[in-house]
Amino acid sequence: MKFLIAIGGKEFSEPTLQVGLAVAKAFNATTTIAYVGSKVNAFTADSVRLAQESMERWEIEQPGVEVLEWAYNYLAGNKYIDPLSIEAGFQKNTLVETAVNRLQLFLSGTFCKNVELILRRGDIIPELRSEVEAHNYDVTIIGGSQKRRMAHDLVQYIDSSIFVVNHFDNSKKYKLLLAVDDSKGTSNAVSYGVRVAKAFKMPVDVLTVSKKEHFGKGYQDAHMHALKVFERENIQATSHLKVGDPVKTIKDSAGEDHIIVMGVSHRNPIAKFLFASKPLKVMEECKCPVLIVK
Amino acid sequence: MLNHIIYWLTQKRWLIISLLLGVILINLPTPEGLTISGYHTLIIVIIAILLIISEPIPLPATALLIIILEVVFGIASPNEAANSFMSDAVFFIMGSLMLAVAIVSQGLDTRLALGIIRLTGNRTWKIVLGFVGISALLSSFIGEHTVTAMMMPVGLTLVRYTNKDIGKIKRLTSLILFSIAYGSAIGSIGTPSGGGRNVIMLDYWRGFGIADISYLEWMKYTYPMLLVEIPLAVLILWFTFTPERKILDSAVRKLKVQVAKSGRIKGREILAILIFIAVFLGWVFLSPKIGLGIVALLGVVSYLIFGLIKWEDLNRNTNWGVIILFGAAISLGVQMTETGAAMWVAEKAISGLKFVTPNIEILRWFVAVFLTGVMTNLLSNAATVAVIGPIVLNMGGDQILLGFSTAIASAFAYLTVVASPTCMIIHSSGLITSRDYLKAGWKMFLMSAAVLFLMYQLW
Repeated sequence: MKFLIAIGGKEFSEPTLQVGLAVAKAFNATTTIAYVGSKVNAFTADSVRLAQESMERWEIEQPGVEVLEWAYNYLAGNKYIDPLSIEAGFQKNTLVETAVNRLQLFLSGTFCKNVELILRRGDIIPELRSEVEAHNYDVTIIGGSQKRRMAHDLVQYIDSSIFVVNHFDNSKKYKLLLAVDDSKGTSNAVSYGVRVAKAFKMPVDVLTVSKKEHFGKGYQDAHMHALKVFERENIQATSHLKVGDPVKTIKDSAGEDHIIVMGVSHRNPIAKFLFASKPLKVMEECKCPVLIVK
Repeated sequence: MLNHIIYWLTQKRWLIISLLLGVILINLPTPEGLTISGYHTLIIVIIAILLIISEPIPLPATALLIIILEVVFGIASPNEAANSFMSDAVFFIMGSLMLAVAIVSQGLDTRLALGIIRLTGNRTWKIVLGFVGISALLSSFIGEHTVTAMMMPVGLTLVRYTNKDIGKIKRLTSLILFSIAYGSAIGSIGTPSGGGRNVIMLDYWRGFGIADISYLEWMKYTYPMLLVEIPLAVLILWFTFTPERKILDSAVRKLKVQVAKSGRIKGREILAILIFIAVFLGWVFLSPKIGLGIVALLGVVSYLIFGLIKWEDLNRNTNWGVIILFGAAISLGVQMTETGAAMWVAEKAISGLKFVTPNIEILRWFVAVFLTGVMTNLLSNAATVAVIGPIVLNMGGDQILLGFSTAIASAFAYLTVVASPTCMIIHSSGLITSRDYLKAGWKMFLMSAAVLFLMYQLW
């Protein structure tokens, strides 16, 4: 599997990196950490490039490299990269331009073969979208502190599962809330839920919400299937069947001490764009990390 | 698939809005007093401005669209559009962008650093005066982006040697970087070679049969203003970003040591300087006969012949898209005059802003400076002169003085990151925020406008 962790700078991205790497480790996933620097407008792109070449002669690194260095130090400090990579230190001269506007540093990982650091420049949504399209990531992990609209656009337009590390608090003991319904994305969400719960040794709440008093067969089957899977994997799972508005119920059940895992909506993209979808609303309204599985 | 279409539509919304607006406008009746070609030209101007500011498509695509629309709307024949597309001003912009690459790659920045330190010593205010002054004087000859690209590493090194934790010397950092950027912007008005927009104005004066202003004549008008602005800019920047350190002795010492490592000036560096001096002399003495653009290209060819720069480096670092766009903008400017659109806008602007002052001379100046000042902070300064120039030159009054006011006001790009290459270059350091531009920019804008007004009265 391939995971992309998008960081937004040194100040706010530690939780994203911490949770992202822990989840990536749970999946033994090849991990790429990407920082998207500010866009340079087309009128001045050549002048800026000229200035940066000039700065390189003075050994002044271009902006964004220090964020990669910070991410490298985090990887080294937590032994996510092999001892040889740690010993070599942050080698900024080995940043390779692998595509237009894309600098890459290759490192050997401990939980997976490769850990890569990427520096891109431009508008964040198009840059992450093209990164995901070009390199087929399975999961994109972003920080929750970033703009709401951005998280919304990422979920809408990026073709991978999205993990929004929203209001993550390291001191809290999290539980996993798996939201289950009869949609196509549910079975994938269950698989992801199992791996996350195993990795973090979390108890699981399996939640199915129906708008009507009567739970349809599809809902009941999906709920039972999820419970069975957790039982088979020896993970403690509690069943919750609730009636009400799905978004509000998920939000209330999750509180601030759950990591929510749910499948992506298979609603018509136009309807999603105009009226948003259940996962999008959950992501916007909940004050805890949310993994939306595609 | 549908999701891809929605994504495309959201990314291209400004293209769609611009084109829809164009379609609506074209179906409205032609405004009174405007020819149909003039009206169509104005529609292209509106579409182009929206596309340039919002950038939903690459700038070269906008440039090509301008040319296509000129022909499709019947404003110009294909040959007329092609003729107005290429001019000495475009040659100059092309040449100056290449000269910038050639000069910056020589590594003359270390010599500059040494020169500044020797002149200024270690007092911060003197260093700031040195940065503003030298940036201004140099950029008046070799262009603002070239100077900023060379000066920025010097400034940043000084800042880094002052304190590795730049967060603790934020005001000093802003002070030094803005000294370079605003100093270069102030200087760019000094000679025609200070910026492509100056040459565009010269081209318009010549093309519209108004005047043939020489390199030295230009300097007579603008250099006094440049010199007056240097100390004023230092004061504004000093009081906006009063630095945490008033003396930078250890940083200056370390910088001296670093610069000393580069050794004595090398032969190729001397040759690079000599070629530039020759180019400067060419601009002064030969440009009336062969044009500023051709002289700039002659300089580029000389750098290539003497092996001071490789074509591959020139090609990689020259923004061909911008050259095409300036060509298209100038072509649009020419069509604005020829179709009467410029005259119509000029009349409307004058009558619409009559409330500002009853004095028509001052009103004309105000319209020129106000329009240019606003546009240059949103668009690019050269594109602003290309579009606003013909309007100003059709307002009546003294076309030379109004032309100078327009070209000079296009350097007042202090307020936004995207306003000019100098602003974008210092922003690319990651150490300056958009808010910093507003903090110092509005004071610089008002000061520059006031000085320009005084000069206008004195000219």
